[in-house]
Amino acid sequence: MNKINFENLQETLYNETLDNGLDVYILPKKGFSKTFVTFTTKYGSIDRTFIPNGKKEEVTVPDGIAHFLEHKMFEKEEGDVFQKFSLLGGSANAFTSFTRTAYLFSATNKLYENTEVLLDFVQEPYFTEETVEKEKGIINQEITMYDDLPDWRLYFGAIENLHHNHPVKIDIAGTIESIDKITADHLYECYETFYHPSNMVLFVVGAVNPEEMMTFIKENQSKRTFNNPEEIVRRFPEEPTTAAIAERTLEMDVSKPKLSFGMKCNDVHNSGSEMLKQELATELLLDVLFGRTSDFYKEAYESSLIDESYAYSFSLEQGYGFAMIVSDTENPEALEGKIRQTIEELNASWSITEEELERLRKRKIGQFMRALNSIEFIANQFTRYKFNEMDLFDVVPTLEKITVEDLKTAFSTINRAEGHTVFKIKPKEKEK
Amino acid sequence: MFIKNEIEQGVTLYTRQTDQFKTVSFSVKFKTALTEKVAAARSVLANVLEDSNEKYKTQNTLRKKLDDLYGTVLYTDTTKRGSNHIFTLNVECVNDEYLNDSGVLNEAFELVRTVIFNPNLVDGQFDPDIVNREKRSVTERIRSQYDNKTSYAQKRMLDHLRPNSVVSTSANGSEEAVQAVQADELLQTYTSMLEEDLIDIYVVGDIEEQEVVAKLKELLPFAARPSRKQHAFKTDAHKNSVTVQRIEEQQEMKQGKLHLAFCTPVGFGHKDYMKMQVTNGVFGGFAHSKLFMNVREKESMAYYASSSYSSQYGLLYVIAGIDAELTDKAVALIEEQLQALQNGDITDLEMDQTKALLNNSITSAFDSARGQIEIFDQYKELDENFTADMLKAGWEAVTKEDVKQMASTIQLEIVYLLSGKETIANE
Repeated sequence: MNKINFENLQETLYNETLDNGLDVYILPKKGFSKTFVTFTTKYGSIDRTFIPNGKKEEVTVPDGIAHFLEHKMFEKEEGDVFQKFSLLGGSANAFTSFTRTAYLFSATNKLYENTEVLLDFVQEPYFTEETVEKEKGIINQEITMYDDLPDWRLYFGAIENLHHNHPVKIDIAGTIESIDKITADHLYECYETFYHPSNMVLFVVGAVNPEEMMTFIKENQSKRTFNNPEEIVRRFPEEPTTAAIAERTLEMDVSKPKLSFGMKCNDVHNSGSEMLKQELATELLLDVLFGRTSDFYKEAYESSLIDESYAYSFSLEQGYGFAMIVSDTENPEALEGKIRQTIEELNASWSITEEELERLRKRKIGQFMRALNSIEFIANQFTRYKFNEMDLFDVVPTLEKITVEDLKTAFSTINRAEGHTVFKIKPKEKEK
Repeated sequence: MFIKNEIEQGVTLYTRQTDQFKTVSFSVKFKTALTEKVAAARSVLANVLEDSNEKYKTQNTLRKKLDDLYGTVLYTDTTKRGSNHIFTLNVECVNDEYLNDSGVLNEAFELVRTVIFNPNLVDGQFDPDIVNREKRSVTERIRSQYDNKTSYAQKRMLDHLRPNSVVSTSANGSEEAVQAVQADELLQTYTSMLEEDLIDIYVVGDIEEQEVVAKLKELLPFAARPSRKQHAFKTDAHKNSVTVQRIEEQQEMKQGKLHLAFCTPVGFGHKDYMKMQVTNGVFGGFAHSKLFMNVREKESMAYYASSSYSSQYGLLYVIAGIDAELTDKAVALIEEQLQALQNGDITDLEMDQTKALLNNSITSAFDSARGQIEIFDQYKELDENFTADMLKAGWEAVTKEDVKQMASTIQLEIVYLLSGKETIANE
């Protein structure tokens, strides 16, 4: 078992890759009563075209299948897995993102029993046509719930606009039509391809004895046999660097118009430390341009173009990346103009100073330290980084090295007008 | 779990030394009786005090200062509990030992003081421009609830269930009440808050407790005020019969948001309230509960179907997202689950699961500084020596017979549906 000390953070991380390929990480946290365990596969909604395990031909599966599979993992011949967790005091859950499916629990008691339930249920698939059919009603309601969430539609609308072909533009849950096509055979095919231990990470954080836990996990895993790992062949369509759709408006029953402004990143093939630097530099750039101390924010807030709903973010994975600004606004056109003007001004004349960078760097270091109070953040973010060969514990050293020049490079990946899009939600005209 | 220090009559400091976190968290809570007017004025005040102060005269300079202090978090919020309105100033900074700089904690202390005692006044009044801008922000916050359908349905349900009551009064007030706030009145709101409110101050982190007590006594020169209990909310007595309101409202939307409320005389502080917490858990609080197992798993009618117990108001809520055309079926199914509890149709497994998850939830909640502060702040009303173990012991003692008896006090009062279509469900 490897042991890595992070002296400045006063943390120690334990790690071992098991014989079956499973990557196990354990991070004890002093003072914590609960333990949080995530079991994550590098398999999300974008993995729709691939060569199934043991086959030669590429397939494209119905949209929403990774999420559907996540739901169905909880149902076994003997009943619902939640029942088992509850009895052990484990609070269980799962989520599917564009690139990952995570199964997790937190518990303050019976850690080993809960861990065993987690490992067992994720590694023992049980799908029948009957249980698959039954799930469709539940997921239809989940899809309908998201359809009624204006903020989700706003965010996702801009992602759809930005992409010509990349499956990130397809809703994670799929559509009512696409999930109707899902069969138990599909689920087994996806499961066999993506749930091999060598495609997964187990992360244990909180109140845990690392040596004992590692022994327990090894013992559990040694009881199972897996095929030799195969390299997973996924295929993604060619994706231009321009936005597919420049602008779109959706009418919904909302109190006030909403705007999202998407900026497509044209450098999406990094991994490891290069990717970490790119991600942090782009986030710092957005802090300078659109953060709470920016001229943009001050003017937009004071002229009522934005309100408390205002937010911005940057998402980066291998194959796609985008920055996004969202806000409720009485005047979407004026807000859009102001965002574009801010970008154009920086294009015309670079004005970001060392001093600004230094201040926002401090802020970001503090934010990271605060985030380390959350064991949920540590487990989720560490796993996401790991799948991109980055290391969560490199964040502070990387931040310390970022220069104004790096911000300039980051800006050059999102600054082109042809990579920008606007999505608006406007209130429906009410009939009198 | 907290060390208590009354620094003045009615002003209490609670500190907790722990090396669990990499930050130090402060909360200063101002408590008074809840009315719509008070809630509106204080929500505007909360925004105004978060915006700027005498030392940092603009939002921009204050935020830059916070950046320099390694992203020290500073925000205000307004909440309610029972008949009380609570204005909270929250500050959280990274513990100096994790930084290359020192002195961040000291500056955070100073900021707490500055925000509370040195507001940004112009000619002895709050700046009308800032006040008007923040009135708009609070108004937008209230208005935007319309867009979040679940939250809006819950609000409308409460409006119908308990109009003109603290139960349906928002901690932000209402649009009208916020519009009515005047810049010159706001100073009065501010003064009375500082001089008359019950004040509870919390500090959690790797601190020297004696030092913190001495420092805050000096930095926060609050005057003494009448010491009293928080305003108590009295739950309704059991009614012989309840007429069930059936309300349907429309928005353009796809899903039906079904919200039910049940009343019970058992509220927070009632001798049986821990029994009611277990009852809620068996009914619909968790993924093993009757509502989840039957409405979601058995009938595949919903993605979410759950209950929650508002002990502060003696109410139990059930929410489910369904196809509006199936409203009658869903309501019947929900009532069936309650009926099962009332008939004593409860297994040992359900009891064990519920107790295990209640234990887990209270212990887990203490794994964040904010959780420690908020939970203690609520339960100390019952017992200043409150610990999680007291709740665990209380839950452990609850029997199936208790749950049956608790369920018999629960009465359906309202069925509210927000949906995109008119249905004939409730004819």
